[in-house]
Amino acid sequence: MKHPGNNRETKPQISNMSETLKRIGRYLLKRKGKLVLTMIMVALGSALALAGPFLTGKAIDDYMASGNERGLLLLLAGLALVYVSYSAVSFLQNYWMVEIAQQTVYELRDDLFRHFHTLPISFFDKRRHGELMSRVTNDIDNISSTLNSSIIQVASGLLTLTGSIVVMLYLSPLLTAVTLLIIPLMFGGMKWITSRTGPRFKEQQRHLGDLNGFIEEAISSRHIVKMFSREEDIIEEFMEKNERLREAGYLAQAYSGFIPKLMNVLNNAGFAVIALVGGVLALNGQATVGTIVIFTEYARQFTRPLNDLANQYNTMLSAVAGAERVFDIMDTDEAVDGKKGQTPLLSGEVVFDDVSFSYEEGKKTLSHVSFHALPGEMVALIGPTGSGKTTIMNLLVRFYEPDGGKILFDGIDSRDISGAALRSQMGFVLQDTVLFEGTMMENIRYGRLDATDEEVIEAARQANAHSFIERMPDGYHSMLKQDGSGISQGQRQLLAIARAILADPVLLILDEATSSIDTITELHIQEALGRLMKGRTSFVIAHRLNTIRRADQVIRLKNGGIQAIGSYEEVVAAAR
Amino acid sequence: MNHVWVLLKPYRLRMAAAWGLMLLELAVELVLPVLMAKMIDDGIAAGEMNAILFWGSIMVGLSLFSFSAGITNSFIAARIGQNYGFDIRKKLIEKVQFFSFGQYGYFDTSTLITRMTNDVTQLQNAVFMSLRIMLRAPLMILFGTMMALFVHFKLASVLLITVPVMTIFMLFMMRKGAGMFQRVQLKLDRVNSVMRENLTGIRLIRAFVRSGHETARFERAGKALMENTIGVIRTFESIVPILMLVMNGGLLFILWFGFAELQSGTATTGEIVAVINYAARIIISLSILTFITLAFARGRASAARVNEVLMVKEEQHPAVTETYPAEGDLSLEEITFTYPGGKTPVLHLLSMNIKSGSMAAVLGETGSGKSALLSLIPRLYEPEKGRVAIGGRDISRMDVGLLRRHIGFVPQESHLFTGSIIDNIRWGKKNATDEEVMEAAQKAQIHETIVSLPDGYHTVIGQKGVTLSGGQKQRLSIARALVRQPDILLLDDSTSALDVKTEAALIEAITAQPCTVVIVTQKISTAEQADCIFIMEDGRIATSGTHGELARENGLYRRLLESQGRGGGIHEASGQ
Repeated sequence: MKHPGNNRETKPQISNMSETLKRIGRYLLKRKGKLVLTMIMVALGSALALAGPFLTGKAIDDYMASGNERGLLLLLAGLALVYVSYSAVSFLQNYWMVEIAQQTVYELRDDLFRHFHTLPISFFDKRRHGELMSRVTNDIDNISSTLNSSIIQVASGLLTLTGSIVVMLYLSPLLTAVTLLIIPLMFGGMKWITSRTGPRFKEQQRHLGDLNGFIEEAISSRHIVKMFSREEDIIEEFMEKNERLREAGYLAQAYSGFIPKLMNVLNNAGFAVIALVGGVLALNGQATVGTIVIFTEYARQFTRPLNDLANQYNTMLSAVAGAERVFDIMDTDEAVDGKKGQTPLLSGEVVFDDVSFSYEEGKKTLSHVSFHALPGEMVALIGPTGSGKTTIMNLLVRFYEPDGGKILFDGIDSRDISGAALRSQMGFVLQDTVLFEGTMMENIRYGRLDATDEEVIEAARQANAHSFIERMPDGYHSMLKQDGSGISQGQRQLLAIARAILADPVLLILDEATSSIDTITELHIQEALGRLMKGRTSFVIAHRLNTIRRADQVIRLKNGGIQAIGSYEEVVAAAR
Repeated sequence: MNHVWVLLKPYRLRMAAAWGLMLLELAVELVLPVLMAKMIDDGIAAGEMNAILFWGSIMVGLSLFSFSAGITNSFIAARIGQNYGFDIRKKLIEKVQFFSFGQYGYFDTSTLITRMTNDVTQLQNAVFMSLRIMLRAPLMILFGTMMALFVHFKLASVLLITVPVMTIFMLFMMRKGAGMFQRVQLKLDRVNSVMRENLTGIRLIRAFVRSGHETARFERAGKALMENTIGVIRTFESIVPILMLVMNGGLLFILWFGFAELQSGTATTGEIVAVINYAARIIISLSILTFITLAFARGRASAARVNEVLMVKEEQHPAVTETYPAEGDLSLEEITFTYPGGKTPVLHLLSMNIKSGSMAAVLGETGSGKSALLSLIPRLYEPEKGRVAIGGRDISRMDVGLLRRHIGFVPQESHLFTGSIIDNIRWGKKNATDEEVMEAAQKAQIHETIVSLPDGYHTVIGQKGVTLSGGQKQRLSIARALVRQPDILLLDDSTSALDVKTEAALIEAITAQPCTVVIVTQKISTAEQADCIFIMEDGRIATSGTHGELARENGLYRRLLESQGRGGGIHEASGQ
């Protein structure tokens, strides 16, 4: 199967990088106090890291050669102090940094999740679940591993670098110049490498997301795959994606593997050059052996932060690749939700005023639909499949917004009411019954979170779900698995009805609520639903005419328009 | 661990090459301080310019040589790492695709997804890391110690205590860390699972305005992940300061005793410098080792998780001795069946016989075992007792693939795939021609709807076909089954969302097919067109017969009739 939707080219955008880093930075800055403390520790640590070799060189030059035992002892005591504080400081900086980093990651993940909940339903219609999941796990994980170490490394790298240069200049400007020769070499090398790794990291994350999406779909469709013996095809398509991931990953890894090697050679060459030049200088009496030792030590201290910076830059590219995919979603526009709108208590009056809607351009799903439901009325929607019944429900609950016309609740334009306020006064049984991992009790309680156990059981009784729940090994505490598997489709609908009964809404929406339930059980539920509908406006889609016999209004739809509207007798019986 | 690490076997040679190159690099690094000592002693101390130049240029040359070795290593390591990940994912998908239905129950979908992406990434990192630096750090430590001992045994002897102690400490941490990382991955599973439930249930969550509730759930999962991550990273990060303290203590020791040795003339300054240099390098290597330990601990944790999946034993089936018969009745003989993980059987000693080429309808209360019965025919599950036979041949003795090739299955929940409509229908028969696809669509009464879409058969639908109406989805999944031209067609209440007229046309088209049809339904109007109706009650066939017989004799059937407004079995024009 071909899968469009992933064709979007992700071209390397260097300009985006600084913006992305800034955004991550803003998250980090929320924990300013700890961040400042960490930075102080980093500064201290860097100073101590410089002091170590400096004192060592001094020990060799000034005391060992001259045989000053007392002096050496004092110096060694000082050195011991330096080492102890160094360990303490580096412990503390890590201790705090990990917390800062992980809290940032947590918040990022949380914000992403919250944003998902503000996005319009249409956003989810054409995206693979697994692909979106990958952003919450794999992409954020990428940021996580970078944040743990990068900030400290970068900060201490920069500090150590400056410190080393100052000390080196003080010791011998000439040798410093020699050491600094590697900087342009390094920059050139880094530029070459990162221009190759950056885009490939992005590609890698994209392919990983794609693969994740495919796995999710393949596993959740396993019954179909098995039934149609398509296992081999799934494997084949998986392998294509696997292959693409491998290629992207290979180049990203290979090129980023260059960095330590480059730094290593610069390190070694630097060591050699310093020794060489230092040796020559020493011969001419312009440098001492001690200076050379200190210098080689500093050259390493100097290249190490450079090395770290280079490595971190590369790791950051991989984090940015993840972060960009996360921010991509966060930048997707929220649904028009009338957030600042009114939140009136509804009476249940609903007016559709010349409403038109299309899911895709070019194909009208609803055109010029108008009707008026009075408070407490039961409105049934009938008509052939695809005539727009569920679409009317979708607009009613504001999963989508109409392209033309208005929907009025108690005379208020739906766009002026917050979607959440509106929906909290509605109860639903949707076409696809969704259950969550958890107990039966929890799943019914989803309808009203503060319902007591007794209320839940009462709702289950009314929905005729009580007897089958009781028969389960753990009764109401029986666990439902992910996807709510373990009970039959009809039983799932009974739970969904119990959930709606528990919700106790002003407006009730039943979209094929009883389609998988046998008609005898349905009769019992009808009584309960009848009681429930009393005094509430309800919208019902059903193919079983029995279900809608009591309707006050029946609307027959055809091709997205109203064909007939009136009482059951007028619309259904007359058509016979 | 076998299943995971054994996959590295094909890369033995290349891994050896990578390690060889790493050794070369390492050798250069180890030789450099010796050469430097030589230069100081022979060149500077002796005042020989030529010696300085000679040793100096050798050092520069060796550095460049190690660079090319490093780059080659990077390419090889990236290749092996990516191939290894590729291979693991391949093994996993092959395993998972051929899980039996019961075996799918061992793992939740979300954990399978994490294991196939995130855990594989961790393993890949561990391998890549090992090829680039794993050997390097321990060898650096080993050779560094040896070289230091060689330069000056007495001074370097302190390393003989500190280095082994630190190594053992690190190995201990790796063991401990693996357990901690397994917990981290578990928490990641949880995050993934909540995210997935939110994506599948997005409509319901919106409808019930439960995003606050869901966010709280997600936050709990995120927090647990954060806390576990902080715990494990902190543990690992605290290794470095401890290590630094111990090793730096050793450095003090060397300086102090070096002084004594220098005074007594048993050591030269060059020797002391060399030993200190080695010690400094060992310290760096040890801290690199911490990162490796971390990656390995993570790898071990992930390997265990991947291994769990790979270890699942293939289910044993009886030997294939039967072929699919050209014709024959479908019979279920004294079948008892319990869902895997279930406690009470859903079918008890159920027997039924369906004549070849006839249409059988199965009716029954919600939860009476109708779907379970259907799922046994294509061997989605195996019965505990009894057998299913076609033309007298036991299907458990047939090749599963062959059996399923003769069956068309339409599940209760119509499950479609991301892709075009034509691809979705072609799922039933991979090489179906366009004509065959259209013919199937016509029989399924969906052709006209498809043609009216902007892109016709090439219209792309999202995951689970969310842009189609319930009835359209059902008909597409019927077309998918019909395109196979099956010998047995199983419909699991898959016409519930169809209006009466469409359904009648569909049933007519199906009965015209030369195949045995088993249809689970709630509608009498559908059942009465069947050659034989089976009424199920509590996992048994309560009674069977034609519509006329049952309407006369069977109480339950009559109640069903009445519940659908068809009292007394008198024909009443159905619906529209």
